[in-house]
Amino acid sequence: MTDVDRNRLVRTTARLLASGSTGIAPYLTAGDGGFARTRSLLEAVERAGASCVELGVPFSDPIADGPVLQAAAARALDGGATLDGVVQCVRDYRARGGALPLICFSYLNPLLSGGVEARLDELADAGFDGLLVPDLPVEESGALSEAARGRGLTLSLFCAPTTSPERLAEAAERTTGFLYVVGRVGVTGRSTAVGDETSTWLGAVRAAAPGVPLGLGFGLRTPEQVASLRGRAELAIVGSALVDAIHHAGAAASPSGADAAAAAEAERYVTALVAAASAAGGFEAP
Amino acid sequence: MRQARSNFQVPTRFPGPAGGASSLLGGFGGCFAPETLMQNLLDLETSWLEAREDPEFQLELDLLLTTYAGRATPLSDAPRLSELVGAEVLLKREDLLHTGAHKLNNTIGQCLLAKRAGKTRIIAETGAGQHGVASATTAARLGLECVVYMGARDAARQAPNVSRMKLLGARVELVESGAQTLKDAVDEAMRAWVEDPDGSHYVLGSALGPHPFPRIVADFQSVIGREARAQVKERTGGRPDAVVACVGGGSNAIGIFRGFLDDEDVELVGVEAGGQGVETGAHAARFSGGSPGVLHGTHTYLLQDGGGQVRETTSVSAGLDYPAVGPEHAALHALGRARYGAASDEAALAAFQVLAKREGILPALETSHAVAWIMENAEELRGKRVLVNLSGRGDKDLDTVLRVLGERL
Repeated sequence: MTDVDRNRLVRTTARLLASGSTGIAPYLTAGDGGFARTRSLLEAVERAGASCVELGVPFSDPIADGPVLQAAAARALDGGATLDGVVQCVRDYRARGGALPLICFSYLNPLLSGGVEARLDELADAGFDGLLVPDLPVEESGALSEAARGRGLTLSLFCAPTTSPERLAEAAERTTGFLYVVGRVGVTGRSTAVGDETSTWLGAVRAAAPGVPLGLGFGLRTPEQVASLRGRAELAIVGSALVDAIHHAGAAASPSGADAAAAAEAERYVTALVAAASAAGGFEAP
Repeated sequence: MRQARSNFQVPTRFPGPAGGASSLLGGFGGCFAPETLMQNLLDLETSWLEAREDPEFQLELDLLLTTYAGRATPLSDAPRLSELVGAEVLLKREDLLHTGAHKLNNTIGQCLLAKRAGKTRIIAETGAGQHGVASATTAARLGLECVVYMGARDAARQAPNVSRMKLLGARVELVESGAQTLKDAVDEAMRAWVEDPDGSHYVLGSALGPHPFPRIVADFQSVIGREARAQVKERTGGRPDAVVACVGGGSNAIGIFRGFLDDEDVELVGVEAGGQGVETGAHAARFSGGSPGVLHGTHTYLLQDGGGQVRETTSVSAGLDYPAVGPEHAALHALGRARYGAASDEAALAAFQVLAKREGILPALETSHAVAWIMENAEELRGKRVLVNLSGRGDKDLDTVLRVLGERL
């Protein structure tokens, strides 16, 4: 697939936008617990009805991440995880029929290692659909965006409550796949109340980015929060809370049953979020 | 409201920091920061560009540098070191600046910028503790709250500076992640700024990080090179043949180099930490053992593995123990305008003793690397005039040096 408009992620977010619905985008730290576990987690969240997955490439210096995702990346790196391993994991997932849109969430440096063109070739060939790079603001995104587009990969850009209207307009124009809306200032992992402030902020982004699918992240953890996003954001991105729950489920099980326990927890957690996102009413914003 | 991109100006002297797409195509520098920091970085650039042109700001800066920090620092002859090396060695005495290192030039400048922007709190990282002490000192003088992030391992080996920071009223946060050195402290300081972008200013301590930090820090440190160039001319009527400085992030080096960039007959030499030897892999010599990549917001030379994970570094000197070099050094290296060598822990410790016993100066272990380089390259330097940036004093290192030299004392 070389045309970005036929990309799985683009089709999914366009469908969510057209139908006015909200899908669940789980974040998973690749290699946390080993790549066999990562593959079974992908399959578990697919069964649970996730709309896409952000697969996090562990990095030695994750400056935008809070303690939960820092610890997950450190566990993965201690276990020997590499970007090559992430690529192989995705190949295995696709070979077994996995069909979710997959976003490679990576700090910039691993993508540059060995040459950015070759890295993107590998990612596209393995079956990734898009990129999210937390240390790549719109000002620096031109070259990577072009390289991604040429390989049928999206490059989704970020906006935050501190983003000026001018820069928001520029990010909205240049993002592909969706626009990542950071729900609040700060590192990942602290809880975000989806209250009036977030709703107002999402409304402002919607007005500035008409026709652009929005993904809200940073601090989402409960079905109630997800339900309150219906119609306001196409993707509810759930990271730290899910990674934490999966890790603890795995750690509480016997070594031979850890991967299965982790996958069962992921399926349970995401199933509840999907139900909340698609329920006809019933949940109110906390 | 301004256009975002037009604020990222490319300097005229050399192609870095490079904004936009060129950063991925071999340019160095850039602004690879999380979105939540971008408005702060844009505002900081605007504020700094305005301050540069504001006579009142410059007057306040000059007044603090002269009446509080103790500028101008002297240029010293080094007769007995010169005799040993066979070259005319001159020392730019940043060790005589208040707080004992060049770091204060930058913290005074940045804290004035922070006050100008209405910030009440500063965040700083520190390796050897010199930048932390300078930040705590300046914060006390200007009435700002100060939090310093320091790797737990560095805090243990630079204990006197931890006490100094606390006595100056700063809060010292020990960082227990990773190797517990400077890289981990920068990670944590950047996260702290991501958490509080409105109230805080991050006083980055070296010519590193996302644009505009490398340029701001180099700008505030360039006073070293301006003074030194005039002092050498006054003393000798001419110019040095070579200017030598140690390079961790590289702020003392870029500060003195800036005074000589246009003097093409002056060789510029940066000295990195060779640790246990560049060939052992246990070092912090980015130009010898590294490759281009992005860390802490900037595209530059890094020590990293084949998969883009940043490597841990080794040096007896906490201030040089960092895996990335300032992007302006990467650009000077690419242009061939400066050359970069390395000195091992052992050579630095030997140089420390030579400077102590032959010149009556206890230099910082960081600075000792620059002295070590001229001793190791004495043959090449014979008969030449060599200016060394004596970037800091060694009081903080006495425990480390005594421990390492224990048996030989």
